[in-house]
Amino acid sequence: MQSYNTHVKRIVLLLAIMALVGYGAKKVLTPSTFGEYGHYRGAAIEKEANRPLKHMTNYSCKSCHAFEWEIHEYGKHKTISCEFCHGPYANHVKDGKYVGRLPVKKGLEIKTLCIRCHNKEIKARPKDVIKTIKMPDHLKSQHVREDHICNQCHHVHAPLRYINRAKKVLGLLTGKEAGNEGR
Amino acid sequence: MKDVKAAINKDRREFVKKVLRGSIAGSLFLVLPMGGEGSIQIPEQIPGIRGKEYDMSKQRFAFIVDITRCIGCGSCCVADKREYDVPDGHYRTWVERYIKDFDDNVYVDCPNGGLDGYQKPRTDIPGKIRDTFFVPKLCNMCERPSCVQVCPVGATFKTPDGFVLIDKDYCVGCAYCIQACPYSARFLNPKTKTADKCTWCYHRVRKGLLPVCVHVCPAKARKFGDLNDPESEVSKILASPEVITVLKPDMGNHPALYYKGLRREVV
Repeated sequence: MQSYNTHVKRIVLLLAIMALVGYGAKKVLTPSTFGEYGHYRGAAIEKEANRPLKHMTNYSCKSCHAFEWEIHEYGKHKTISCEFCHGPYANHVKDGKYVGRLPVKKGLEIKTLCIRCHNKEIKARPKDVIKTIKMPDHLKSQHVREDHICNQCHHVHAPLRYINRAKKVLGLLTGKEAGNEGR
Repeated sequence: MKDVKAAINKDRREFVKKVLRGSIAGSLFLVLPMGGEGSIQIPEQIPGIRGKEYDMSKQRFAFIVDITRCIGCGSCCVADKREYDVPDGHYRTWVERYIKDFDDNVYVDCPNGGLDGYQKPRTDIPGKIRDTFFVPKLCNMCERPSCVQVCPVGATFKTPDGFVLIDKDYCVGCAYCIQACPYSARFLNPKTKTADKCTWCYHRVRKGLLPVCVHVCPAKARKFGDLNDPESEVSKILASPEVITVLKPDMGNHPALYYKGLRREVV
């Protein structure tokens, strides 16, 4: 009788061992936070959320560059991020310490940068969003030399700053615009 | 001694007021510890994230791209590449230029993903141009994402707050999701050898900051906000009678990325 049941016992034992090994392997191999919110690792959300910031805001530049910030904040270019032209904050300051110099555009680089947005040749630019000009027609109509670079008339951080100031001196600026110091 | 106590008692109300005001003001600033050198504070860009427990299941965000305002400067693409060190030739977000002529031919180009901006007009179009516009593209953060459905290892997923993210540690780089995405938002990152895509700057949103492309957009063509807040800009736009559409609605993915003023030619 004993030998008659042996193979059944063996199979049951084998299945039990396999189930146990399978369960153990699943326990060991499944990441601990898997299934916390769904069929994925819950810890991956926190990992993505804790990715270090590279860009800050214009406000973060203020503590050191208050003078430039003031000009920029009240000028026509206030919607442009400092970091677009100058590079990300993380390349400049890390853990409160200076780590690298950010580029300052000079000469023809400035012209390229201005034309990137203000080129009238690209037709898709809505008039109520951006003022566009055609080069060198703009220089001709303003009666300046054609090799002039934009920042010889326009302050890069507040493009109408000098122009409005000059107009104010000449008495060309009236009403509300005259009040805000030609920003 | 009695005088001191009396003085404190007298000013107690004032003192409590000051403390409360200080703690409320403090909670609106993101304080980043800066290794003993003090800290810098950044004002909150998305109201209602900081200063309380972030409950993932209760958040609803929307992204709106305003086609009628995009000037094609490519600031968004530049900022995105810098924020994530995206390898050359791959784009988490890009800006396409659509040109339509009077014979209803549509010409689309996207030199270097819009990273260099659009410096020159197209000269190879024979017909008379009727309309030109820019279309920024990014991850659509679908309500029913097809990329999540096909992932064999559970490495791409939709979070309870509606973001579709990638678990880079468990992605095997099989690229099924890249084929599944109807919007071509995904690519295989040659550096990490895993799938990669736009995350709507999840790490910034959780800190109360706008996605970096929204923050740098000078024309305010990209808008991001909280749909639970009826006062947020996105809530107001979605409730307004503006023309608001999503890309490829027939795919049934139900994107959370909306386009304002989108032409029917855009795919």
